[in-house]
Amino acid sequence: MPAELENRAMHAVELARSAGANDAWATAGQGRDVEFGYRDGALEKVKDTTSRSLAVQIYADGRYSSHQTTDLNPERLRSFIAEAVAITRALEPDEHRQITPAELFDGRPDEDLDLVDAGVAEIDRQRRLDWCKALDEAATAHERVISATAGVYDGSQLSASASSNGFLGTQESTYCWYGSSVTLRDQGERRASDGYYVGGVYVDSLPAAHDVAAMALERSLARLGSEKGPTAKTTMLVDSRAAASLIGRLLRPATGRAVHLGQSFWSGLVDEQAFSDKLTIVDNPLIPRGLGSRSFDSEGIASRQLPIVENGIVKNLYVDTYHGRKANMAPTTGSASNRVVGVGEHSLGELLQEVGDGVYVTSWLGGNADGTTGDYSLGLSGHLIENGEIGRPVGEMNVTGNLLDLFSRLELTGNDVYPYSTTLSPSLLFSDVDFSGA
Amino acid sequence: MTIKRRDFLGHMAAGSAVISMPAFVSGCGVPTATAVREATPENPFMAWFGVDQATTARVMSELTASGADAADLYFQHTRSNSLTLEDGIVSNANSGIQQGVGLRVVIGEQTGYAFTEDLTLPSMLAAARTASAIASGSQVVAPQAFNRQASGDLYTTTVPWSDVGVDRKLPLLKFVEEKARSMDTAIEKVAVYWADADERVMIATLDGKLVTDHRPMTRATVVVTASKNGKTQTGHSNIAAREEFAWYSEERLTRMVREAVDRTMIQFEARRPPAGEMPVILASGASGILLHEAIGHGMEADFNRKGTSIYTDMIGKKVAEPFVTVVDQATIPKERGALNYDDEGNRAGKTVLVEDGILKSYLHDQISARQYGLSPTGSGRRESYKFAPMPRMSCTFMEDGPHTKDEIVAAVDHGIICETYTNGQVRIGAGDYTFYVKNGWLVEKGKITAPIKDVNIIGNGPESLKRITMVANDARLDTGGWTCGKNGQRVPVSQGIPTVLVSNMTVGGENAG
Repeated sequence: MPAELENRAMHAVELARSAGANDAWATAGQGRDVEFGYRDGALEKVKDTTSRSLAVQIYADGRYSSHQTTDLNPERLRSFIAEAVAITRALEPDEHRQITPAELFDGRPDEDLDLVDAGVAEIDRQRRLDWCKALDEAATAHERVISATAGVYDGSQLSASASSNGFLGTQESTYCWYGSSVTLRDQGERRASDGYYVGGVYVDSLPAAHDVAAMALERSLARLGSEKGPTAKTTMLVDSRAAASLIGRLLRPATGRAVHLGQSFWSGLVDEQAFSDKLTIVDNPLIPRGLGSRSFDSEGIASRQLPIVENGIVKNLYVDTYHGRKANMAPTTGSASNRVVGVGEHSLGELLQEVGDGVYVTSWLGGNADGTTGDYSLGLSGHLIENGEIGRPVGEMNVTGNLLDLFSRLELTGNDVYPYSTTLSPSLLFSDVDFSGA
Repeated sequence: MTIKRRDFLGHMAAGSAVISMPAFVSGCGVPTATAVREATPENPFMAWFGVDQATTARVMSELTASGADAADLYFQHTRSNSLTLEDGIVSNANSGIQQGVGLRVVIGEQTGYAFTEDLTLPSMLAAARTASAIASGSQVVAPQAFNRQASGDLYTTTVPWSDVGVDRKLPLLKFVEEKARSMDTAIEKVAVYWADADERVMIATLDGKLVTDHRPMTRATVVVTASKNGKTQTGHSNIAAREEFAWYSEERLTRMVREAVDRTMIQFEARRPPAGEMPVILASGASGILLHEAIGHGMEADFNRKGTSIYTDMIGKKVAEPFVTVVDQATIPKERGALNYDDEGNRAGKTVLVEDGILKSYLHDQISARQYGLSPTGSGRRESYKFAPMPRMSCTFMEDGPHTKDEIVAAVDHGIICETYTNGQVRIGAGDYTFYVKNGWLVEKGKITAPIKDVNIIGNGPESLKRITMVANDARLDTGGWTCGKNGQRVPVSQGIPTVLVSNMTVGGENAG
C-alpha cells in the first residue's frame, strides 16, 4: 500500500512537470475510520469510512499555488493538474516561493517512531460494542444521570509525499480513542455535564473503558451545584488538561509567518527572557508512539527536537521555508508536532497546598487571544481553592490579561502530565490573575 | 454539442476557469463548465455525478437491504478557489475538488453511515453494505425511480464561479490592499484573502425524492496591521454571501476596508473595562452571536430528544419579555446561511424559536421530528458527504422591538456596548455561553465614551433571555462570514439582531478587586 501511494504521488509530480511546472510537491493520502456511538443502552451510530485525497503544490515561472482533490480518475486528474499549472501562471511572481531545498530533507531520523499498532486493524465490531457497553455501564452509574453517550473512534492514516527535487517519504499512524460524555440533572432546568476521552497510537496502552467512563462521571458530578465565582485578583491553578489548551494559545503566534506579518507578540523575543524561568517548552516530533510524532514535516524538513522556550528564554520559533526566506530566519518547521512542557516536582495536592486560596480551572469556555498584542480573555469553569483543598464548583467566570504577562507569573509547574494530547503539559500555577464573576 | 455521460465527469473535474479570456482557456485545453450546463436539459445533476436513475435505485436498494425507516444518498461536488495577497502581491492560490457520496440508513434513533469518493457502482454498493450493517431487519421497498423536486431560487447566479478566472479576481485584491493603505499612514501590513466555491448537491431519499441544489459561496477578508508609538495592532473585517462575482462592487469592498481600518486604529486608544457584572448593550448586526449561543444551539432538537439541553422541558413557557421574538430562517436570499433545501432533502424554511417571549419550536432533523411526531423544520445539515446530518441553525436573528438605540444607551448608567466579535461557545446542559468582544465602548451615564477591546463575556442562556430588558427597532443581519462548529462539523451560518440591552452579564476585564 505505501508503494501504491508513493507511485500516486510521484505520478502527480510527473503530471505537473509535463504540464509545465518547474517544480512540484505531491502528497497522496488515504485513511480508514470507524466510529461507534452508544447512548443509554443502545447503539446509536456506526460510521465506517475509507477516504483518499491527493494534494499537489506547483512552482512554475517563479509562481506558486496549491491544490487538492478527492477525484482520482486518471483522465480528470490530468486535467485538474494541467489547470493547476495554468492557475499558477495567472498569479504574480514571488522570488521567495521555492520548493524546499533538498538539504533540509537530510537527517531524517533512523529510529522507529512506533506509530503503527497492528492491533488497530484487528479491532472488530464486537470489541467496539464491548467498549461501548463498559463505558455506558460505568457512565450511567448514578441516579442523577439523564443521558450518557459513549464514543469509540479508531483508524489509520497513510500518506506518501514526493517532490521534483528528490523527496520521497511515507508516514503511517494508527489511533484509537474512546470515552464518555455525561449529563446530570442539576438544580432547576440546569444540567451538569462533562466528559472524558482517552486515545493513543496503541490500543492496549489505554486505560480500561470502565475506568475512563468512571472518570467522566466523576468530572460531571463535580460540576453539580456550580455557581458564579467571585470577581477577584487571585492565584490560578490550571489542571493539566486545561493547561494543554492554554499552552496552545500561547504558541499560536510563535511562528515565522505571524512575526513576518506583524501579527505576533513573539516578535523580537528570541534569546530574550520573555517568560518565567519555570517555563520550558520543547517541540519533540521523535517521541515513540507520540500522537504528534513524525519523521518529516509537511514541507519534507527532517524532524528534530526544537527547543521553543528554555527556562523562560525564547530559543526558536516555528519557521516554514517561505516565511523564513522572507523574514531572513532559518527554517525550523512551520508546524507543531508534540509540544512538551517542562514538569516540576509537585503533585497536584502539593500545588493546591501551595495556593492556599485561589481558583482551580478545569475547563475553558470560549474566549480568545489577540496574537499581535497577547491580550486574552477566556471563559472558565472549575473550583474555588480554599485552605489548600478543592472547594465548591464555580463557573460563568472570565479570566483576562496578557499572555506575556501571565506566563511571566508562572510560579510552579506540576509533575502530572495529561497524556491524551499533542500538547503534553503538567498543571500550571499562576499568581495575581484577574477573574471576573459575581 | 453532445457529450456522453462519462465525459461529464471529465468536464466537472476541471470545470473552473483559470482566467476569463476564452482563448487562454481553450488554449490550454481546459473545458469550461458552460458546455456542461448546455448539454443537460433534463437533469444536469445526474450527469454531473455520472449516475442515472437505475444506478441510484440500485444503490438505494442495497443500502436498505436490512431495513430502514429512512435512508438517503448525498452526492456532493464542490469546486473551491482561494487567493492570498500578502506583502503587496497575490502569490498564493489554492483550488480544490471535494467529490463523494454519503450513504445513510436510519432506524429509529440509530444511524448507519458510510461514504465513498469513488462514484463507480461497485464502490457505492460496497459503501451501501457498510452503512446498512447497523440494521438487522428485512429489505424495505426502495424506489425504482425518483421524483425531481422543483429547484430553489434563493441564490441563483447568472455567472457561476467556475466561469470567473483568476485574472478578474486579482485586481479586486489589489484594490482592497491599496484602499487600506490609503486610509491611514500608520498601516504597515495588509493581507487580503479571497474564497469562492460552487457546490452542487443531489440528494436521493428512500421516499423517492430527488433534490438538487447549486450552492455558491464567496468570502473576502482584509487584515490590517498598524504601528504607532512603538505599539502594533491588528484588525480585520470580512464579507460573505451566496453570491456571484458582480456582488463585489467597489463600494462594498471599500466599506469592508473602512471597517477593518477603523477597528484596527481604535485599538490604540482602547482599554479593558473593569472586571465584573454590568449591563451590556449589544449593537445591531453581529451581536446576533448572542442568539446563536444563548438559545440557538440549545434549541437544536438532537440535544432535546436526548434530554441534555437546558431548554428540554421549556417549550410553551415564557422565557423572555413579550417584545422578544427569535427566528431561524434559511429562506433569506443570498445570505451565507441560506438554503433552498436542507441536507436531508427537506425544504428549508422559517422556524420561530421564541415568539413574543414564549419558547415555541426546536430545530428538527428527520430523526428528532419523527420522535416528536412533528414535521422536520428543514434544519438537517452536514458539512459534507463525509458526515451524517444533524439539526443546525441557518440565519438566526431577533425581530425588531419597541425601543430605539438612543433610548437604550440613555438607560445605562455604567456598562458597555459591544460591536464586533470573533467567536463564541456554549455548554448545552448548563446553558452557560460566551462570546468574545473584539471592539466595543464603555457606556457611562447614558453616553458612549471610551473604546474597549478583547474581552470575553459569559452568561447563562435562559438567564440572559430573561434579562433582555430593551429591544430596538434597528434589526439587521450581519454580512460577516460566520461558520458554526458542532460535533466536528462546520457549516456556514448568518446571524442578526437589533440593538438590545441585557441588564446584567459577566464581563472579562482587568483590575479585579
